[in-house]
Amino acid sequence: MAKTDGGMKWALVAPVLLLLITFNVFPLLYNIVLSFTNAELVGSGSRTVGGANYGRVFADPQFAGALRRTALFVTCAVGAELLLGFSVALALQRAFRGKQAVVTALLVPMMLSPAVIGLFWNLILNGNYGIVNQTLGWLGLPQPQWTTDRDLKFWSILAIDIWMWTPFMMLISLAGLGAIPPSIYEAAEIDRAGRLRVFFKITLPMAAPVLALAVLFRATDALKQFDLVMAVTGPNDSSTQTVSTLIYQIVFRDGKVGLGAAFACVVLVVVVALATVFTRQLDRLRSSEGAP
Amino acid sequence: MKYLRFLIIIGYGAVATLPLLWVVLSSMKHRADTISLHAKVVPAPTAPADPASITFEATAEAWRDLAAVHAGAQASFWHYLANSIIIGVLSTIASLALGTACAYGFSRFRIPGSGDWLFFILSTRFLPPLAVVVPVLMMYRELDLQGTHAGLILLYTIFNLSLSVWLMKGFLDEIPRAFEEAALVDGYTRWQAFLRVVLPEARTGMAVTAVFCIISAWNEYGFAMTLNSSGAITVPAYFAGLQGNIDGMPWPQIAAGALVFVAPIIIFTICTRKNLLRGMTFGTIKQ
Repeated sequence: MAKTDGGMKWALVAPVLLLLITFNVFPLLYNIVLSFTNAELVGSGSRTVGGANYGRVFADPQFAGALRRTALFVTCAVGAELLLGFSVALALQRAFRGKQAVVTALLVPMMLSPAVIGLFWNLILNGNYGIVNQTLGWLGLPQPQWTTDRDLKFWSILAIDIWMWTPFMMLISLAGLGAIPPSIYEAAEIDRAGRLRVFFKITLPMAAPVLALAVLFRATDALKQFDLVMAVTGPNDSSTQTVSTLIYQIVFRDGKVGLGAAFACVVLVVVVALATVFTRQLDRLRSSEGAP
Repeated sequence: MKYLRFLIIIGYGAVATLPLLWVVLSSMKHRADTISLHAKVVPAPTAPADPASITFEATAEAWRDLAAVHAGAQASFWHYLANSIIIGVLSTIASLALGTACAYGFSRFRIPGSGDWLFFILSTRFLPPLAVVVPVLMMYRELDLQGTHAGLILLYTIFNLSLSVWLMKGFLDEIPRAFEEAALVDGYTRWQAFLRVVLPEARTGMAVTAVFCIISAWNEYGFAMTLNSSGAITVPAYFAGLQGNIDGMPWPQIAAGALVFVAPIIIFTICTRKNLLRGMTFGTIKQ
């Protein structure tokens, strides 16, 4: 079938490949070039500065802080979302009336624009007139300054992310749980296996490959965290700065294109490593029997 | 156990949906009621006599004011919504067309290194936008694309290619080759078989793919903000731009605008609920 139409197959695939090379691969290479210069956002004329930008990236604690904070964010967000999402999926596992409608309603947060909804969370979490603190006050509980307290705002942003993305984990978990054949549970029942035993010996291992996939999807996404931080604290807050907001701050606020490019290159190495793990996992899933 | 299950569902359901209910309530308030030190929870036809009451006067003011130009912006909400629609729809069409063609190529033809190409296409999705934004900005300056609709359409089209290729490949792989073979026997050319026989069969997949493309273009903020100072500002960038303006945040209007903005997304979510997982995972999980 594929022998005679060489022209057609390249006409089909070439546009996509060319666009991706022009707007993804070329910028990446250009980024490397820029990272060795002192290029600025305004004004032309830049010169090569060797590895000076990289020297700054590795010496300045701001960069290490942003990397550490992003790693913490990814770990906590993905962990909490997985735990919560999987628990809710377990609760939703058995059929009941209106289940489809409930599941769809629970999915809404992840479909929304983080930039728009993140903005709105500022109103909900406001220390003085936010509904959360008014409710806490009414209950006689302490009313922390969620979005302005130095020690708290990072965790508030994390909480918003968990609110947005737990539905994703729930949805994938539901698929993973739904793919376990009922006959296995029936066999376990005949063997009089206890509930906990069934959970740890059947449910969890059989859902694990799909959950791993979910974790990798979320991790690569959380790694880019930008919108929520911008909405809640802005890019230049020393206690919430992630790698994306730091690059934004350096390039667009400070105008230091070369330095921003150097940091972007460092970040990219980390992302490529993660993406490699991710696609390996994908291949393993696709080749393994019984994946949904 | 049974009660625990329902407790979890109801408890989580409340956390998931109450913030959205708050957006709805806020869109019915006067601005003073959105930042009142007394929680205003229950809409009422008239303003309460007691300022500490939990009721507030319901008003359509915010909805009318969507047409107003706020401090910190140059046009009204509707103008930016129109930008979002133009950019979202055109980039989705482009991405879907290019992605479907490419996916068909990988699905039906023997392409050297196809596994590596597909991996490359997927890997572009993991790129943090800010890792390429600087060179893209430089390119856009050269090409005069900065702050134009065309610039964002092009960018979102490319951004969504990985999604549309992977999703469409999954859908096209499911269409039996016998369809095309029969068409070829009937005297169709390969192109005709693709356009007239395969594409109509793939319409569900194309609809699902289009929904996911438009959602990601619709919600995108990073590029919309960094590559734009005035020309083609979309709704997320418009709302974010209101922060720190001199008159304070117009919360009721933001709430009303946010509702208008998310309404199509919620409708799309409901329409594609059976294929949601497939879309969110690039077709790697089929439900």
